[in-house]
Amino acid sequence: MQGQTAREFIIEVDKINKEFPGGVRALVDFSTQVRKGEVLVVIGPSGSGKSTFLRCLNGLEEIDSGSIVIDGIPLDDNRKHRLEIRKEVGMVFQLFNLFPHLTVVENINLAQKLVRKKTKEEAAEMTMSLLKKVGIPEKANNYPSHLSGGQQQRVAIARALALMPKVMLFDEATSALDPEMIGEVLDVMKTLAREGMTMVVVTHEMGFAREVSDRVIFMDGGRIVEEGTVEHFFTNPQEERTKLFLSQIL
Amino acid sequence: MYGKKKTKITRLDIILLLTLLVGVVFIVYRVTVGLNYKWNWGAMVQYIVRYDTETKRYVPNLLLEGLFTTIRLSFWGTILAIIFGMVMGFFRISTSLFKRMVGRSYVEMIRNMPPLVFIFIFYFFISDQIMPVLGVDNFIRSASPGTQKFFGIILASPELFAATVSALISLGIFEGAYITEIVRAGIQSIERGQWEASYTLGFSKYQQMRYVILPQAIQRILPPLAGQFISLIKDSAIVSVISVQELSFQGTQIMAATYYTIEIWTFVAALYLIMTLSCSLAVERLEIYMARSR
Repeated sequence: MQGQTAREFIIEVDKINKEFPGGVRALVDFSTQVRKGEVLVVIGPSGSGKSTFLRCLNGLEEIDSGSIVIDGIPLDDNRKHRLEIRKEVGMVFQLFNLFPHLTVVENINLAQKLVRKKTKEEAAEMTMSLLKKVGIPEKANNYPSHLSGGQQQRVAIARALALMPKVMLFDEATSALDPEMIGEVLDVMKTLAREGMTMVVVTHEMGFAREVSDRVIFMDGGRIVEEGTVEHFFTNPQEERTKLFLSQIL
Repeated sequence: MYGKKKTKITRLDIILLLTLLVGVVFIVYRVTVGLNYKWNWGAMVQYIVRYDTETKRYVPNLLLEGLFTTIRLSFWGTILAIIFGMVMGFFRISTSLFKRMVGRSYVEMIRNMPPLVFIFIFYFFISDQIMPVLGVDNFIRSASPGTQKFFGIILASPELFAATVSALISLGIFEGAYITEIVRAGIQSIERGQWEASYTLGFSKYQQMRYVILPQAIQRILPPLAGQFISLIKDSAIVSVISVQELSFQGTQIMAATYYTIEIWTFVAALYLIMTLSCSLAVERLEIYMARSR
């Protein structure tokens, strides 16, 4: 099933469709492939289906048809497959979604103990090193409500990284942050990208895309309208809809 | 609040206060003169405590005994109600259609019935059938004197045991329906993001509930739950119709014998007020404590 030879693609999405109740077609025959270590940036107007696409990748949303394969594991009805995929795919949300009744270290430790079955000591070690990596080791014993938005998001990133996933999904990770805090979160994301993490990032931050992304997809109406490198989008967008959208966000 | 508010007593306050005082004086006057009521607060005392010639001590008389019964009913009734409420609360949000239907039916049937009607139905139809089956009467009658005494303190003496258990179960079922909704609302009030984050981290449904959702839900459930306890204290008066000798029952008995209506009911009302008020104050402290540790 999972071959030992290096797979070319770590994410394979083949003609997925998703329709919401009410007839809204969020994804229409959507296909793409992501290589290991690739940083894929997804842009598009709201309602284009970019968040839905992201949320389908780890099973938060169900697809109506088509197939998704993550690191050789198909996302199907098999519960073991689904659990494996959830362990290998980490996600960072726009609204952080930290556990408010736990401290920062408890937030990051919990999944390690419950899902990766680590001991208290192993988890604690990983947690502290991750907190240093995202730059806020001093906040270890604080509750999320005492942290700024940027700090909370960095804790959320650390919490997702604690499970050592192979893929990281970012769903508009900086959209809910005050401008002065966007930078610190983007810095963490850039570091991750440079270290070779496979990332799928839904964002409006074209500066981030310019620095670290390998490929950009512009989505509208559930489909890929245009695809290419960042430079392509900056210098030579082809479609009218692409040009319109870029003029609004650049 | 915005800025410091200085307590001001306005003319309106004084007018309202005087009106209230006049109202009270008027009522007392009408009762004394109009109804030709002979006030006799002194005679009440004998129904609260009486001097037992055998043990040469003051022992509680009917009213105090009624109070203790009410306290026992409220305490155990709440525990039962919480058990029913939690089980049914989980049923209501279960993925199983059957469980959801059972939970919903339970809540709708009970909440749409007056407590009095429910007590009658339970006592005359159900309790009569279930109690012999449960062997409650046999259990207490064949128990050792020590066990009987123990149960006498925490629940009821052997003669009243079956009736008290029956009253307890009915109170538990009745209030349990309201607690079901409190539990359900508490769990459903946890934002979806918490479910999504824990799901994404690979938690199982049980792990989500145990480590993420329930710890947060319990904080939200506790205040209305405590309010339900206070409700139960008052609702327990209902079981007087099935001759369980709690406070209201004793009140009616003494009134029938002595006709000291107003003194008795004022005293009974004061006792209920003391019970519920102390619970209310305790709940307030609880809410302040929980808000602080955020």
